[in-house]
Amino acid sequence: MTPLHLSDDRLIEVCLLEAASIAEQEHLGACARCDARRARLRRLLDDVSGAAVAEADAAFPPDRLARQLARILSQLQHDGRPGRLIAFPAGHAHEPTVSRTRPSTRWIAAAAVAGLVIGVLAGRFGHDYPLGRPGGTRIAVTRSADAPDLRTGAILEISTAVSEEEFLSQIEIAIDGPAAAALQPLDDLTPLPWEVR
Amino acid sequence: MAVSVGAVAPVAPLSRDSQLAAEIKALVVGGERDAARDRYGDLVARQQRRAVRIAYQYLRDAHDADEAVQDAFVKVFTHITSYREDLPFEVWFTRILVNACLDLRKSRSRRLRWSVPMASTKESAPTDPATPEQTPEQRLVSRERANEITTAVESLPDRQRTVFTLCHLAEQTAAEVSKTLGVSEATVRVHLFRAIRKLRRLLEHKQ
Repeated sequence: MTPLHLSDDRLIEVCLLEAASIAEQEHLGACARCDARRARLRRLLDDVSGAAVAEADAAFPPDRLARQLARILSQLQHDGRPGRLIAFPAGHAHEPTVSRTRPSTRWIAAAAVAGLVIGVLAGRFGHDYPLGRPGGTRIAVTRSADAPDLRTGAILEISTAVSEEEFLSQIEIAIDGPAAAALQPLDDLTPLPWEVR
Repeated sequence: MAVSVGAVAPVAPLSRDSQLAAEIKALVVGGERDAARDRYGDLVARQQRRAVRIAYQYLRDAHDADEAVQDAFVKVFTHITSYREDLPFEVWFTRILVNACLDLRKSRSRRLRWSVPMASTKESAPTDPATPEQTPEQRLVSRERANEITTAVESLPDRQRTVFTLCHLAEQTAAEVSKTLGVSEATVRVHLFRAIRKLRRLLEHKQ
């Protein structure tokens, strides 16, 4: 028989991790104190595992486990399959196309490009043909009442005039410019009208 | 099937689950994925109860435990070709499960950081380890005792609780836990001793 009592840590090891040596078993058989300590520890561990198991089993009844198993197998069944491709535009559904962007994203990009082009053109147009240029389109501007020359509420007529040819040439200049070149990738992403139909 | 003459026999006989895992691996390697999946269903069914107990004890939330267990099983099948047949499947699986629990805990703590605290969102499972033969008074005492135990286990620091759960509930050896957690066996023992000392302090005087 081992003359020394088993330490608390050794009792834990014996209860949880590994079997007691022959000498330790003999000691536990002969020493009532150590045996009682081991029994108390064993009871505590049983209580803890009993509570944990009961709690987990109550949270996971057999039907929940069955559903979980079904979900796992279903997930595995879909694993490794290629993703579903949605053809765009709709008229070309028969062609196996790889859609890199969602249609809604394309429309947002198209709107953004259209807005930018209009903005660039309008800015350039406004810069080249400032208000006050004689002749052509009439723009009515009401000046504030305290303006000395308009005390009578007179309306200053300002007109800008561009010939059609001049306007188209300005568009061409704008399109050839570096600002428009930067927009080319966005334009490539934008579907053409005949692709959408 | 031809067996190589020079093949080295494993030192210890493999568990049934380890054999099953090895069969599934062979099926996947052989391109028989559907058959492998069918066999895997058996393996999941055998390990599932143990897995949810570990995950629930670790995460303390049934939804999270459900998710972690599902993730772990899917990950195991996805990586079955990297399973080493010389290791017990349980150890490999438990390591993946514990990692899934850790990932979930991290994402949960991130989620909680941004969520508005509710009055009581914690899912409380019906905790009643009492048997039907018990009287109402005995049942009440059992429930109180179960609550005390749950609170005591929850009060353990993370690492201690993990080691205690793996050693006690998952019935892993110190060597297996050290492999699962990537720490030395001595560290496993230290955490286990501390965990049990604390549980004794909290629970024994109430008995």
